[in-house]
Amino acid sequence: MNQKFHPEQIKQLLNRSLAMLDQPTLTRLRNARTQSLARYDAHSAAPAFAWASLWAEHRHATDSHRKSHYLAAAVLLVALLFSGAAYWHHTADRDVSDVDIAILTDELPIEMYVD
Amino acid sequence: MIRIRFSVLAICITLLLQPGLAVAAPYKSWTQLTPVQQEALQPLATQWDTLPTKLQKNLLHAAKRYPKLTPEQKQRFQNRLEKWSKLTPEQRKRAREKFSAFSKVPPERREQVKQMVRQQEAAASGVPPAAPAMSDK
Repeated sequence: MNQKFHPEQIKQLLNRSLAMLDQPTLTRLRNARTQSLARYDAHSAAPAFAWASLWAEHRHATDSHRKSHYLAAAVLLVALLFSGAAYWHHTADRDVSDVDIAILTDELPIEMYVD
Repeated sequence: MIRIRFSVLAICITLLLQPGLAVAAPYKSWTQLTPVQQEALQPLATQWDTLPTKLQKNLLHAAKRYPKLTPEQKQRFQNRLEKWSKLTPEQRKRAREKFSAFSKVPPERREQVKQMVRQQEAAASGVPPAAPAMSDK
């Protein structure tokens, strides 16, 4: 029982045993192998399809989110520009009015400043 | 999505133009002014509604400070309003520039000019030079 076999010897033994099997047994073995391989292919292919599907959904969602982000950034930028423009208008008007009232109330006559 | 983008863009452009539109739009008629504003701008009562909107706006800004002026300054303000309103926008702009430039002149030099003007007005009106100029109409 403790006899050690070389791999090549094992292969030869198996081949000899295989040759001794009858045809119905060989057929059942072949069918079993085919079914097993078919199940293995289906099992290993499924995750690939699942990942492809998930990747497509993720990409679609990412594109959609990216567009939303761009839109939000554009609206924010325009809002900032509007606030800046409004503030600038207000400040400019106030500055002009400050100078106007200074001219209209100054000790020096208005003719001093008018061409 | 494109329709939404156009809508947002249209709203944004409208908002950006709003300060400009506010200047172009009619401001306030004389009857819409507050009693304080009417008191400050009394010399322009008859012509107020015909004044350019931008000038109306500037004068209303100025009128906000009217209650805090001294009686002498109030007198000057009202005496000069009509003349000021009859200037062209370019003349008013030039006057503001000159006033700003004169404000940067050293105080001693400004006082010299004021003293000179007081003397001229005194000579013209017969009032002693120490009295401040009340009217320049």
